[in-house]
Amino acid sequence: MNATQDNRINNELALNILNQISTPIMAVNKEMKLIFMNEAGFELLGTSWEKIENKPCHEVFNSSHCQTPKCRMRQVMEGEDSCTVRNEITRHERTIPIEYTATALKNKEGSIVGGIEYLIDITERTQQEKKLQEQSRTIMEISTPAIKLWDRVLILPVVGVVDSLRAQQMMNTMLKKIMDTSAKVIILDIQGVAAVDTAVANHLIKIAKATKLMGCRCIISGISPAVAETLVQLGIGLGEISTNATLQDALSDAFDIMNLMVTPRK
Amino acid sequence: MGKNSDGLVFEVSEPSDNATIVYNARQMLLQMGFDETRQYLIASAVSELSTNIIRYGEKGTITLRCIRKSDKIGFEVIARDCGPGISDIQKAATENYSSGHGLGLGLSSVKRIMDECEIKSARGHGTCIIAKKWLM
Repeated sequence: MNATQDNRINNELALNILNQISTPIMAVNKEMKLIFMNEAGFELLGTSWEKIENKPCHEVFNSSHCQTPKCRMRQVMEGEDSCTVRNEITRHERTIPIEYTATALKNKEGSIVGGIEYLIDITERTQQEKKLQEQSRTIMEISTPAIKLWDRVLILPVVGVVDSLRAQQMMNTMLKKIMDTSAKVIILDIQGVAAVDTAVANHLIKIAKATKLMGCRCIISGISPAVAETLVQLGIGLGEISTNATLQDALSDAFDIMNLMVTPRK
Repeated sequence: MGKNSDGLVFEVSEPSDNATIVYNARQMLLQMGFDETRQYLIASAVSELSTNIIRYGEKGTITLRCIRKSDKIGFEVIARDCGPGISDIQKAATENYSSGHGLGLGLSSVKRIMDECEIKSARGHGTCIIAKKWLM
């Protein structure tokens, strides 16, 4: 077997492998015109080599990165490192979410003559992600329950991390529940809150102010030693908002406000 | 979340990212031996920094790691963002200054809670805040 023959067999084998890989692979020259695509690529695009040969790749892929500075193919041709990013391609009016990796195509001398790209259809993954997002939203919604503790006394236990979205939700839940139950006292228990930064404190203050406007007293309970020290270090004054170390104390205060008394049975 | 020799690296772009960071920070602080109050305090400072990225910088990263200096060990948080940068660092780190709608206590409280706090920023080049807390 001489050297040229050896070369030919290798080329054939390599082409065969490329065509049988189920991931679409394509290559373009420096003018961004298609010089290669494997079978999986034709399948994804529903086309054949005759129809796309030497066409500019943006005409074929019609992706959201095409002909914008976001095009990673152009970036790697300009010498940047190979990278993987998400994108969307539109084919027969259907949008397919994909992830593609672009690498510079170099000749034997090592100079860049074009680019190689392989892409993965991530429709399923994006669907899963969407589902996950919806689920976390649901969890968030059920994680802010305003519970009636006594006649006209409500409690809202806050657990986990409070972000602006959740704070808004807490505010809505509370104000609506105050309206519905004509509550006079609402206890905001923050014992389970993972961290209190100035944004969280700001939200708590706003919630307390809003409830007050509705004629309802807001008591913040669950101020543990750690929370107390953090609030002091943050330099936050809770002003007129009543606070308590424990939920029990808060409830006892609530009873006082309501002119109720808990006595042992005679 | 990425993990490398530099510690845990988190991408920050939306409010829900903050939760993961706070939980990881608390876990790390617990393992390092900080008491409960310190854990809470430092986690709150970390939360402050990541909330700041979301509020002002829009996109960035938070890196949490354990550091050593001679025989001391400490906790370090690095907050990087690609936002507009802080035009007047001195002013931003003062109490009651706010360019947004916050309480104006954010950065100054981070400085108070942590032992060391370094802010690097240039207009148009984002901001990098490195804060350290040593375990006594």
